[in-house]
Amino acid sequence: MITLKINNKEITVKDGTLILDAAKEAGFDIPTFCYQARISGLGSCRMCLIEIEGQKKLQPACITPVIPGVSILTESSSISSMRSAMLEFLLSNHALDCPVCDKAGECELQDMVYKHGPRNGRFDEVKIRFHEEDYAISPVIGKNSNRCGQCTRCVRVCREIVGRGVLGVMGRGAHQEETSFWKTELDCDHCGMCIEVCPVGCFMRRPYRYKARPWDLKSSDTVCPYCATGCRITVESRNGEVVRSIARNSNGFNENMLCARGRFGYDISNNADRLTTPLLKVGVRFEPVSWGRAIEVLKEALMRPAPEKVGGVASARLTNEELYLFQKLMRKVVKTPNVDSSSRWDASAVASFISATGMAEGPSTAYECMESDMTFIVGSQISDENPVIDYIVRYVSAAARKAVVIASARPMKLDSSAHLRLRHLPGRLGSLLLAAVSMLNKDNSSKLGNVKGIEAASAVSVEELLQSCGVEVSDVNALIERFKRAETISIMAGTDFLRYKEGSFSLGLLIASLKAMGKKIRVLPLLDRSNQRGAWDMGVSPVFGPGYEAVSRGMSCEEMLEKAALGEMDAMYVVGEDIAAMYPDEAFAKASLSKVKFLAVQASFMTETAKLAHLILPSAVFVEKSGTMTNQEGRIQAVYPLVKPPGEVRTDFDIIASLLDAAASMAVGSSASVFEEIKKQVSSYAGAEISAGGAKGVMVKASDKRLERGGDKPEPGVPFKTDKVNSYILVTGNHLYYSGTLSSRSSILSGLLKEPIVEISKLRADETGLSDGDKVIVSGNGFSAKFALRVKANAMKDVCFIPENFNDAPVNRFFKKGEPIPAVNITGFKE
Amino acid sequence: MEKTLLKNVGKPDSLTIGAYLAGGGYKAAEDAFKMTPDELIQRIKDSGLRGRGGAGFSTGLKWSFIPKDPTLAKYLCCNADEGEPGTFKDRVIMENDPHLLIEGMIITSYAIGAGAAYIYIRGEFARSAKILEQAILEAYAKGYLGGNIFGSGFSLDMHVHRGFGAYICGEETALLESIEGLRGQPRKKPPFPALSGLYAKPTVINNVETLACVPFIISKGADWFKTIGPEKSPGPKLYCVSGHVNKPGIFELPMGTSLREIIYNHAGGVRHGKKFKAVIPGGVSAPLLIEKDLDTPMDFDSLAQKGTMLGSGGIIVMDETTCMVKTAYIINRFFSHESCGKCTPCREGTTWMTKILRRLESGTGRQGDVELLEDLCGNIFGRTFCPLSDGAVMALRGALKNFREEFVYHVEHKKCMA
Amino acid sequence: MLSANLIEEIKKIQARYHSKKSACMAAMQSVQREKGFLSKDDMTDVARLLEIEPVEVEEVGAFYTMYNVEKPVGRNHVQVCRNLSCSLLGAEHLVRHMEKVLGIKTGQTTKDGKVTLSLVECLGSCGTAPMMQINDDYYENLTEEKVTVILKGLK
Ligand SMILES: Cc1cc2nc3c(=O)[nH]c(=O)nc-3n(C[C@H](O)[C@H](O)[C@H](O)COP(=O)(O)O)c2cc1C
Ligand code: SF4
Ligand code: FES
Repeated sequence: MITLKINNKEITVKDGTLILDAAKEAGFDIPTFCYQARISGLGSCRMCLIEIEGQKKLQPACITPVIPGVSILTESSSISSMRSAMLEFLLSNHALDCPVCDKAGECELQDMVYKHGPRNGRFDEVKIRFHEEDYAISPVIGKNSNRCGQCTRCVRVCREIVGRGVLGVMGRGAHQEETSFWKTELDCDHCGMCIEVCPVGCFMRRPYRYKARPWDLKSSDTVCPYCATGCRITVESRNGEVVRSIARNSNGFNENMLCARGRFGYDISNNADRLTTPLLKVGVRFEPVSWGRAIEVLKEALMRPAPEKVGGVASARLTNEELYLFQKLMRKVVKTPNVDSSSRWDASAVASFISATGMAEGPSTAYECMESDMTFIVGSQISDENPVIDYIVRYVSAAARKAVVIASARPMKLDSSAHLRLRHLPGRLGSLLLAAVSMLNKDNSSKLGNVKGIEAASAVSVEELLQSCGVEVSDVNALIERFKRAETISIMAGTDFLRYKEGSFSLGLLIASLKAMGKKIRVLPLLDRSNQRGAWDMGVSPVFGPGYEAVSRGMSCEEMLEKAALGEMDAMYVVGEDIAAMYPDEAFAKASLSKVKFLAVQASFMTETAKLAHLILPSAVFVEKSGTMTNQEGRIQAVYPLVKPPGEVRTDFDIIASLLDAAASMAVGSSASVFEEIKKQVSSYAGAEISAGGAKGVMVKASDKRLERGGDKPEPGVPFKTDKVNSYILVTGNHLYYSGTLSSRSSILSGLLKEPIVEISKLRADETGLSDGDKVIVSGNGFSAKFALRVKANAMKDVCFIPENFNDAPVNRFFKKGEPIPAVNITGFKE
Repeated sequence: MEKTLLKNVGKPDSLTIGAYLAGGGYKAAEDAFKMTPDELIQRIKDSGLRGRGGAGFSTGLKWSFIPKDPTLAKYLCCNADEGEPGTFKDRVIMENDPHLLIEGMIITSYAIGAGAAYIYIRGEFARSAKILEQAILEAYAKGYLGGNIFGSGFSLDMHVHRGFGAYICGEETALLESIEGLRGQPRKKPPFPALSGLYAKPTVINNVETLACVPFIISKGADWFKTIGPEKSPGPKLYCVSGHVNKPGIFELPMGTSLREIIYNHAGGVRHGKKFKAVIPGGVSAPLLIEKDLDTPMDFDSLAQKGTMLGSGGIIVMDETTCMVKTAYIINRFFSHESCGKCTPCREGTTWMTKILRRLESGTGRQGDVELLEDLCGNIFGRTFCPLSDGAVMALRGALKNFREEFVYHVEHKKCMA
Repeated sequence: MLSANLIEEIKKIQARYHSKKSACMAAMQSVQREKGFLSKDDMTDVARLLEIEPVEVEEVGAFYTMYNVEKPVGRNHVQVCRNLSCSLLGAEHLVRHMEKVLGIKTGQTTKDGKVTLSLVECLGSCGTAPMMQINDDYYENLTEEKVTVILKGLK
């Protein structure tokens, strides 16, 4: 700790604290321009100069650490005149076209000049101009360099946080311009971080251009509806149209960080294709009906059949309150145990993942994880699925010099931050992790002897396991060496454990073994639906109830489909989930759904599933909802509505509440009163005071009930059959711009990538003569579709990847039920 | 004075290692390898050698800051950027006596434990670069570079890194950025290069002339060096004289020789019988001096006392026909052209000042321009990231201090009085 | 496309440094020596070789003034020093004279692509002012007569 005086006020701060931060702590704001939290300090704009006793020159507070015992002044006449002088310089070549600038009204430069002067301008020369018209460097990023103040935050944030580094500073002196390579369209993440950090109107959101002045905006805080990172966003509207989504430093745990989805996926509510009225199938057509009639029909359909022939699936994007009510409706009123929250995952794989990762044992934040000596990321395409966690891992590991290890089936952006990378065959993470446990067990057998299930580690040969997952023994050795060296280890485990059944057993065993070795372990599940954790906490599962309490086993979504295929499902109530598009075997899903005697679908859009329904209930989207959501860390955050839903659309909350009322005369009350009920029923939510947590939310607690560690022991897999030169192992997952099919309803996001893509390895591309950008046909399981080819270095040779999110090329058509990892053929073609 | 640094200049074959060896070359290096690194550093400290690149920092002290940890990689960078207008001494050494520099670098690398040394040479010096590359190959062939030099177990690799048009890369941290393949913008200090320099490893940066002194200090001794020139800035010094003199050129003289002696006794006095008007003593960053200052000894401390600096030793003489506004304009234009763009006051301030000076010079000055210039100087000085802009301000202030009436005349009469 | 020779040369340059990126400056110098100027494609190729982002290559190309980025220069690039020592000894007169002899203004290239005339800052040869550089070579102590002969003799 260091004690010093700032403006005569004594203050004690941690060693190495920047004077800027120390001053803030002491209550003094120092104006800054080039400074940006979380990226490397530059000290170039000179706005933050302050006086340090005994030093001749003014010093930059943003890069100078505190010095013990000194006296610092942040206000003095020479500092005031310096500030006004710096601003006069910054304005000298600034376009000063505020009337047509999006930033006017929330511009850091404008605000600073207003506060610190100069009050009159002396610059009376010709200004440097870089261009006459604004130009675009991405579908979402517009550029006006005439306004640039050379803080280079854009360039640094792109390099250090986003990890792309596609912006640069071109030229020198007053002629330098921050822009893309040759000012061409960027092939980047389109996350807009450069826009968010730009203090002036140099980087602009193109979709927002000339849409509103900041003072005309209505705004509301919510949570990004896409992945489970749970980024806090502020959504803003003008005249009922949502025009912007921003993240602010002062707000959520993600501060100003967002990915393309969070920053540009806000426009789904504006989509003209929204369903606006309840629709009942009459003959072959849908006809509008009143809400009263719709609720009546649905109540009848759910209540009349034998309960075991009724089931419900609710999307993991609903709020906690909606999910809680949904399972309450199904379990308590319809009296069926058949509830699920995903059409993609196997329900017992879900349960073993929850137990392996210890989700019931309490929360674990991304930042806490990054305090560990080592972070092991496994089974996740983190750079695409949870981009803001990718940012956090990147910048914290660089700044705090923490070790990062990644095991994945595909290459990813974050690989460049990893000290060790293990590339394994798709679906074989169970084998990889079991091999690691087995090798740990060899030199730690005394310690690991009592670990439950450890016998599995000696039952199979390491060689076989390694062969099955395609990893070199030296790499696994390097991994366990790092495990042994680290005292604290964080494991970030992703959705591949859910996509492929066999992983969670080994993951659980690994974690138990590391604990037995005395390591302090933190686990962060990395999930891809915004409220997946909430859905599980609320007990939307056939295996467990709210708070992970034991329930009599119901049917999972897959089992309901199987039963439907036999013509034995009388009714299904599907809320928000698009089973037909997501279940890995489209033909089977559609055939089964068609055989459900009464299919009710609650959706915002005419989804593939809705098309098969007997009754469609139009539901609200995220900007229209209130309630709470729980992110993958276990952070409960409140969401507030910004706009009214269009037409007769109702929130899922209101619809389910009406059903409860109609079917059982249960008065639900408000969302807040349902949360009170959750606090009573779900032990990990007991005492959660949302308002107390502020914008950063409150964390769940350890649950008083746990799930038993379990799961299927991995069997070394049979080798993949990809012997033919054009045959590939298919892996699927989320694309960076998309999350499920909801995001494809965002016209901004859809504009980022216009055609479906398939990714193959450089090795294979070279062999087959295919190259990046080629058009190819992918075929398999009797289906074929056109894709644009992406070639990736460092990818496993025989693996190809297709995102799950393209409506034109539904990847689930390549899947056959019971065959989790299909092979496909890829051939080039000329148009 | 007997020539030391320039002793091989003009000799036939002075470029070749054969001629250099014949003159006793690489003997100092051989001797140095018989000393311990600490003894070497002490020897340089004792000699009182101060950096010839501009700042005049004690060379021995700089070397002593390098951590002794043998497991750390360390680097030596020779600053051969020679960018300060009015300076042309390093090129003379490199193009006439490349092995002198290489020998100095070998000794220095050994003293600080550097395993690799780079010569950062400005891109325009294509010929010098070729000569150095050739000389380095010769030194490798003789075993003075590469593995196990003089059987000491010490290894050293040496490379030429060419700049490509950026004055700022003469600033030592910008130079490091440039070797790392980046835009040449200064880094924040601390950390100083001695702890975290090239590739974040301990690094010494020394000027060509500084390094060329090193072999002589080894072979002739620290005492020999100290007896030349004033006690606080000893040694031989290369003075570059250009501008309105009869015999422009480079002169090796004891540090502290007076301006008058250099200009009149060595450079042949002001040409065409014109009257002397002003002189810039140490490259264009150094404020100019006038007639009454001519007896100032040309060393670091005496010039600092006069409010100017020895800088790189680039002396530019101006006669009575010289327009001081134009001079100021040319100098300022240079600085705004070379501003790296990192910090606000330099980037915007020098650009603005150049625009004002151009107007003044071309006869479209406005009332208040001179005061505005003075005010802008104050707004820039001491507030920039690196000293480049301080140089720009000091130069302009020097001109305004001594010749303010010429600037005012330009405003009022729209033309020059000179 | 970079020639096989260039690629070979750039690979050799990389060996001089601890990081591949350091080779960026010299790599572009080599490309410019062979092609006369740097194109977008060349920069992309250099980036690929050095495993860095193309934008990092352009940053370097655009910062240092000796890189001719996308602007081909004549076979003879005549660069006249405009800094103080040369100016004191008549660099401006000389430039006007050269413009007359060549029939172009500074910054332009003759129609036959033979000569580009540019003004540059101090070239570190003030003792032999006024001076200029043509391609790699320095021409010093210039006079109108000398310059005329030199310019006429350019191929
Ligand atoms: C703007 C600027 C330009 C400089 N240019 C040069 C130069 O061209 N050559 C040089 O040797 N030092 C130059 N220096 C000084 C170097 O930063 C550094 O002090 C010097 O190379 C150290 O070597 P020395 O101790 O041997 O003098 C410059 C400094 C500044 C601030
Ligand atoms: S003073 Fe600032 S802009 Fe000027 S050269 Fe130094 S760092 Fe660059
Ligand atoms: S904020 Fe400190 S120098 Fe820019």
